[in-house]
Amino acid sequence: MEAEFALKTEVRGDVLIMATSGYVNNDGGQQIASVFEEYHAKGFSRVVMDMKESKVVNSIGISFLIEVIEKLNDNNGKLIFANLAPSIEKTLSIMGLFNYAAKESSVDKALAALA
Amino acid sequence: MEPNIKLKMTLPRIPDIELVAIEGLDRMARHMGIPEEKIGEAHVLVTEAVINAFEHSGQSRPVVRIEFTMNQEKLIIFVRDYGKGFDPGAVEQPDIDKKLSSGHKRGWGLKLMETMSDDLLIESDDKGTRITIIKNLK
Repeated sequence: MEAEFALKTEVRGDVLIMATSGYVNNDGGQQIASVFEEYHAKGFSRVVMDMKESKVVNSIGISFLIEVIEKLNDNNGKLIFANLAPSIEKTLSIMGLFNYAAKESSVDKALAALA
Repeated sequence: MEPNIKLKMTLPRIPDIELVAIEGLDRMARHMGIPEEKIGEAHVLVTEAVINAFEHSGQSRPVVRIEFTMNQEKLIIFVRDYGKGFDPGAVEQPDIDKKLSSGHKRGWGLKLMETMSDDLLIESDDKGTRITIIKNLK
């Protein structure tokens, strides 16, 4: 069964990498938005969302990512998703998130795209 | 061809209970040799249908019935709640451009179910809602 949600963060230069694991549900989405807000307040506006260890999401959890995108858009920031499972990629696509965020097949490629 | 296999569950409202339904679906799908891509899309359908059922049940101690019928060609997901019902025609289609500037960023479940399924039937009245989702597996 899909594991409980957990979030790890790493900073590389001026890029915030947030790596999720487990089910991205309501609580998971809130955690992402809350941790992002901490870093955003410190000036981080370029974010990689690594979802390699998440295979199940729900739309409530993902709706918090719209909040993240909105705040990044307000100050010319950028969000890149990395390592998306096909069904998660399709979910984000249906919701229109790729109109405002990019996707790459790995964290390294996402960092390269932000360089 | 393999005959249909079925799984029925009654889900109480406890956190992440939809994962239990997904686990059951996974076991059925692996038994039937269903491609991973289709299983992943079925996860989305089940997750959204169960969450939607609990959200709109309007009951203090709601339960949701879910039933999977699967063969190698097709998955039928039936989800039943006993809440106050809703008018599917009155549900506004979510739009990312509007959501970005809105305080209400939720409301995507129906759109995801419509788009990711091959057929979706919603029957709702004051005795509850019945959602039948068909997903082709080939």
